[in-house]
Amino acid sequence: MNSLLNASNKPPHEGVIDVSTFVSALQKILPVGAVILSKEGQRPFECDGLTVYQQLPLVTAMPETVDQVQAILRLSHLHGLPLVPRGAGTGLCAGAMPHAEGLLLVLTKLNQIVHVNHKTCTATVQPGVRNLALTEAVAPFGLYYAPDPSSQIACTIGGNVAENSGGVHCLKYGLTVNNLLQVTMVTIEGEIMTLGGAGLDEPGMDLLSLMVGSEGLLGVVVEAKVKLLPRAPRVQVLVAAYDTVTAAGDAVAALIGQGIIPAGLEMMDHLAISAAEDFVKVGYPTDAQALLICELDGTDAEVEEQLLLVCECFKQHGAHHIRIAKDAAEAAALWQGRKAAFPAVGRISPDYYCMDGTIPRSQVGYVLTRISELSQFYGLRVANVFHAGDGNLHPLILFDASIDGELEQAELLGGDILTLCVDVGGTITGEHGVGLEKMPQMPYQFGDAELAQFRRLKAAFDSEELLNPGKAIPTLKYCQEYRSLQHG
Amino acid sequence: MGDLTVQLEQQIQHAYATKTPLKIRGGNTKASLGRETSGEAMDMADHSGVISYSATELVVRARAGTKISLLNDLLAEQHQRLPFEPPSFAGEATIGGTVAANQTGASRPWFGGVKDSLLGLGLINGYGEVMQFGGQVMKNVAGFDVTRLQCGAMGSLGLITDVSIKVLPEFKAGHTLTFDMTIEAALEAMLKWANLSLPITGMSHFKGLLYVRLQGGAGGVASASTFLGGEKLASKAAEIFWQAIREGSFLQPRHDQTLWRWSGASDTLANTVPNTSLINWAGAERWVLTEALDTPLEGLVQYQGGDRLAEVYGAISAPQQALQQRIKHAFDPHGILNAGRLYAWM
Repeated sequence: MNSLLNASNKPPHEGVIDVSTFVSALQKILPVGAVILSKEGQRPFECDGLTVYQQLPLVTAMPETVDQVQAILRLSHLHGLPLVPRGAGTGLCAGAMPHAEGLLLVLTKLNQIVHVNHKTCTATVQPGVRNLALTEAVAPFGLYYAPDPSSQIACTIGGNVAENSGGVHCLKYGLTVNNLLQVTMVTIEGEIMTLGGAGLDEPGMDLLSLMVGSEGLLGVVVEAKVKLLPRAPRVQVLVAAYDTVTAAGDAVAALIGQGIIPAGLEMMDHLAISAAEDFVKVGYPTDAQALLICELDGTDAEVEEQLLLVCECFKQHGAHHIRIAKDAAEAAALWQGRKAAFPAVGRISPDYYCMDGTIPRSQVGYVLTRISELSQFYGLRVANVFHAGDGNLHPLILFDASIDGELEQAELLGGDILTLCVDVGGTITGEHGVGLEKMPQMPYQFGDAELAQFRRLKAAFDSEELLNPGKAIPTLKYCQEYRSLQHG
Repeated sequence: MGDLTVQLEQQIQHAYATKTPLKIRGGNTKASLGRETSGEAMDMADHSGVISYSATELVVRARAGTKISLLNDLLAEQHQRLPFEPPSFAGEATIGGTVAANQTGASRPWFGGVKDSLLGLGLINGYGEVMQFGGQVMKNVAGFDVTRLQCGAMGSLGLITDVSIKVLPEFKAGHTLTFDMTIEAALEAMLKWANLSLPITGMSHFKGLLYVRLQGGAGGVASASTFLGGEKLASKAAEIFWQAIREGSFLQPRHDQTLWRWSGASDTLANTVPNTSLINWAGAERWVLTEALDTPLEGLVQYQGGDRLAEVYGAISAPQQALQQRIKHAFDPHGILNAGRLYAWM
């Protein structure tokens, strides 16, 4: 897709790698069927959730034990073969796109919940455990795992750690990094290392946090110890409709500024509301220009107190319609529209491209206005769905890939939205990661010194750049080319 | 008070060129933490001041030398607070030192540690390069998390120049309950109560009493209080107690004593950490005060006192030691920044 990207996608040992020796050694490590060489067999793994980036790997390995993972990493290291780790492949930044001359390490068979300690509210899991499967497994204890990305039915905890995944409840309960106590990882040399601990703050530099969101560039996580939370006795959902996105944005800023942190606070714009209502028919007001979905949780007393304040604040800022869910079924229905927003938009457009910038809350009105202008300039519709409480935007750019040049236009529009986020003091990615997709914007967000520091840090873990090469952190050559293009 | 970034940058560049070790110092309140080191003084106290504070964004950005006490006062004017409740050490502790030493108060299990509130920071590495990581927004996953890596690094990876921190609203109501309990009974009670969705923001055991702090909305606190029972502590006494917990003033080691810190799972049995003097964080942090010892207590950090040239943070595995040395080298190739403060080999 981007000509700059190809330059960095070369293995360091090119021409030296003895592929047949590598494959036969790999076959000795893994059982029959766990090494996939055929194109047909590897086709399901050629991309992640960002399907416009596709690449078949040289070989795919599906280990079932930590010992096998260690042996595979040692082998890759020995042969200088690039290695791309992958969970369920639900990522949205092409972070798990395979390497043409490398091995794809699929970790979904490491799917055991090793231990649940309901007393300390912690669980130890293998990386292939699905996010929702963990929450379901601990539900009998009245517990749940807080980070809940939209893909939670399929995405894995290992992938969540790699991307520092969030979700609709991270406003109050944090991202993956805030819900993790310890990881066991395997280095590119095949060494096992434990970072973090059973306690809350271990002495020394915070290597655990460094691993979170490192997009598979520093090591392969083979076990994670996560925090679980007790289910709140009461959960209350309400929606509020507004005539302008600016009014809704102001209501969000005022609510948070007043000191109320809801469990979730989401916003949808008119196009997203209409698409969602057409799809799931939950009774959203389709005449509204913006809709806020707010979830409060806690004890009965806490929720009652907050509910009054929230309704008052929403009305003060011009909500013309407030609907308070009467029971769990209605609450689920109100959420369903938000959760179905992406597929709903998929119904009104042949293709869509999901962006992921984060901005200061005070900039919501300005940024949405600019996005609307950019949308007109490029002639592509944009539906906005976002985590309003923490300023994390998910503009969905609607396009038709079968029309010549429209994908490229969508990418250009997306790039403009990301740089706009940086310009107002935000970031190019709030929760989806950089992967391959946002490499062009990395030199926009970071200076040369920071990028060089990232590369030295990468080298401290993986000096030969074998782990997920060509992703997340642009090479020096890439940055030089980027800067010369900007000035040319 | 002001922006001394240029001078700090030049001082580190000069130290890099001459391979001169530097000893970073803010309010000089944490000299007793970490290993004893030497080096040219790098004073941060005057590199201070709030750069920006937006109450509606819930973000404050301040230079590293800014005092915690000043931040607390500033936030209180807007009815907000630092979520991780750091010690202010007689008003002298700075935000830079707080991040570097990873200093968190009683609310740690419920409102997180320094890393959970830290959104971004400015850093000058051992080459003397001025850099910015993270930012002022709530969610940011671009690039490696160099920001949080600094928590607990004791200044060994770079000089923190400024920090951006997420703040939270003050609690509207709160009070503290006490329960006459042995350590064993308190550990059991804390485990049970932490499992419930209650507005608890502190659980500590000291001298035969379990202290449970409830904070939140008035209704939520009142109903939790009724549910838990116990004795309600007078508000002044409660304030004094939690201040002492935060400032570590209950267990100040004399010159011939050592204070040890244990960190682990909250269901760890009492006899695993013999002679515990104080339990904090609902059982996840325990403190032991001893007379001078010849041999270190296994699994505990030699927090204050004793031989400060020893490996006070204990040993780590050989591969991880090698990795940390490579990370140190990636930030500080000549080893000039707080060399040996964390480990002798770093």
